[in-house]
Amino acid sequence: MKAVPDRGIIGYTCAYTPIPIIEAAGFVPYRVLPMGDAPDQAGQLLHDNLCPHVKRVVDRAMGGDLPALSGMVFINSCDAMRRLADAWRNVRPQDPVIFLDLPATHDEVANRFYASELKRLADHLAVRAGIDAGEMDWQASVNTFNRLCELLAACSTRMRAGRLAGGRAAMQALYNRACTRPAAESIQELEMLLETHETDADVSPGVPVFLFGNVMPDPEAFALMESCGARIVADDFCTDSRMFSPVALGSDASVFQALAGSIAQKPPCARTFSPKTPGRMAADVVAAARECGAAGVIGHTLKFCDPYLARLPMVREALNGEGLPLLMLEGDCTLRSIGQQRTRIEAFIEMLR
Amino acid sequence: MMKTYFDDLVSGIEAKLDADPASRSPRKIYALEVARLGARLYGGEDRVAWCGVTAPFDLLAAMGVTSCFVEFIGAMLASTGMTGTFLEAAEHAGFGGDTCGYHRSVLGAAKKGVMPVPDFLIATSSPCSGGLAVMENLARHFEKDLFVLNVPQEPSAEGVRYLSDQLREMAAFVTDHTGEPLDGDRFRLAIAHTNRAREIMAEAYRLAQAVPSPANGRLMGNFGIVMALLLGTEAAVDIATAYRDDFAAKVGKQGSGIAVERLRLLWIQNRIQFKNPLVDILENEYGAAVIADELNAITWDPIDPEDPFTGLARRAISIPFNGRIDRRIAHLQQMARDYRIDGAINPCHWGCRQGTGARGLIAGGLKAMGVPVLNLEVDCIDSRNFSEGQLRTRLEAFAEMLENRN
Ligand code: SF4
Ligand code: SF4
Repeated sequence: MKAVPDRGIIGYTCAYTPIPIIEAAGFVPYRVLPMGDAPDQAGQLLHDNLCPHVKRVVDRAMGGDLPALSGMVFINSCDAMRRLADAWRNVRPQDPVIFLDLPATHDEVANRFYASELKRLADHLAVRAGIDAGEMDWQASVNTFNRLCELLAACSTRMRAGRLAGGRAAMQALYNRACTRPAAESIQELEMLLETHETDADVSPGVPVFLFGNVMPDPEAFALMESCGARIVADDFCTDSRMFSPVALGSDASVFQALAGSIAQKPPCARTFSPKTPGRMAADVVAAARECGAAGVIGHTLKFCDPYLARLPMVREALNGEGLPLLMLEGDCTLRSIGQQRTRIEAFIEMLR
Repeated sequence: MMKTYFDDLVSGIEAKLDADPASRSPRKIYALEVARLGARLYGGEDRVAWCGVTAPFDLLAAMGVTSCFVEFIGAMLASTGMTGTFLEAAEHAGFGGDTCGYHRSVLGAAKKGVMPVPDFLIATSSPCSGGLAVMENLARHFEKDLFVLNVPQEPSAEGVRYLSDQLREMAAFVTDHTGEPLDGDRFRLAIAHTNRAREIMAEAYRLAQAVPSPANGRLMGNFGIVMALLLGTEAAVDIATAYRDDFAAKVGKQGSGIAVERLRLLWIQNRIQFKNPLVDILENEYGAAVIADELNAITWDPIDPEDPFTGLARRAISIPFNGRIDRRIAHLQQMARDYRIDGAINPCHWGCRQGTGARGLIAGGLKAMGVPVLNLEVDCIDSRNFSEGQLRTRLEAFAEMLENRN
């Protein structure tokens, strides 16, 4: 594995961020997770009705709760993210910011455009790194990223089999580290972890549930769910596996087109949809819940998240149609907000037994 | 129900104008054309497309499709006091009160069978994520085909090309659903109407900048955004002409849009769409005329009839709700300068992340040039929590503060 030149850290906030490009330029991608103890100050710039993910990230920027950054990459994933990019420029004018305009739907024309956006990012980073964009070793950075994805997936499989000490909470801690430090460090940690003997299968006797939503980075949140009697058999959040889906460079397209194509194939969050199959997210949730043998589904979304708020009724309807019970929780990125719903979670699990 | 409403509105205004041709005010002509559009949407005879806010209504008109952004229906339901039932229907179906009221009321109306079934739908990613989501929901509800226009945030060469390519694809999609190809002559005529209306609207806006201004809060409310629906037609040219001529006559006589203009206000983003006395309080009690709305401005160049898709793309990208907030702030600052604005009102529509989300930055940007902003806490569609007393007190304090500065 090639050593990553120390060109600094590039922050990002969205699971759609093209991490291999940041790495190819020699920067360490660092996801600014909505965690930590930064005081609540975002309200000075942003209205209360913005999603807590964005507000917590702004709190961290205002509170200086960040490593030294060489720049930020934002994605046009939703209104809140656009406002986040605006607020960031205001709070930390010293950070070079690049904003990538990711289409909400994908087809050939969209991919062509997004490829030009990715090229813009590569050129921007190359200038910042003082290198020629043409010299970036794409294959190496894609290989590194894919290796990371593969190892995380292997850990996840082990975790699902009840053979990862610390269970789902430990897995989340791995995801959090993997998105905030050099890939090589995580690869080393994960390889070591996977080389050690598997723990004895310790499958919790809990009720199998499928968990989905937008942002849930706190490992303790998963532990809390499990302490309510849930066995999380599969989940889908933008702070876990959605960040780490392998990319393919292909042979016939340009690097950027191949990367744009891979991003279009990623497991989507609610902001991405298909005009040809409106409501596909509902079908996806049903399929994922069925595939993992869940007895019920728990959705956890942040308040004021339009992409999810507007799709949850169709998810509810689809699950209803399949006879799969759903519990919807709304949170604000804090463990406290999930803790306050403990009784509801327990009652739901009890009902599923 | 809605068909009768619009038909009655059309015949009522027409009868009034026939009986008293001197009563032909610009607002009446505008109201008549908007009512005619509503009558066509609900008439059951036209091909109908439900759209997002930045769809190219002139292109659709040229292709024989009666089209409208769905938020217009939300606003209309609120203005007629009918929206409560529909908001409740949407909430009952799971669309929570934290989403945009425009979208909730439209979803409720669809669920209650009060939205005509369209032939197809065209969503636009600008201005907001909620707008895209409502179109996906409507396409699912009506089981009709959906086309999505991803409007880039910036007018870069790639962005403009991307959107113009999508517009070409959209025209093919429309043809697939109507069987009618885009007729070059009709398209050119529509673009000529658009350019003519644009030119006259620019004159009207320039006249509205006079001191005192011939404009007022009623005349200009929702004007720029609704006019987009009529672009490409003669109706847009007629309305713009009526406004321009009315303003020119008033300016010639140093006439003011309100009794005595003491303060000049800019309204940011959304009007409060249900009946409320706020603008009247400002204008009648404080002489504070609401002379401009944020979207009452021309932000785009004339469209080249030989390369119309590029011009349409540039226009959609140019709206102030699209792109970085500094672009929007610069637009508001320019309006504040052009109109010699004393203060701005931002109603901070509750469910709007796109607009309300940036209120602190907007207020800061206008304050930096000496224009105070009054941020209100309202839902522009949902009157159930409207607290007139509280808002009145805040408006009064704001108007008094502005007067003391002058
Ligand atoms: S949680 Fe929702 S609103 Fe917030 S950034 Fe993510 S998609 Fe956007
Ligand atoms: S008010 Fe805001 S959220 Fe609602 S339709 Fe307008 S831009 Fe979208």
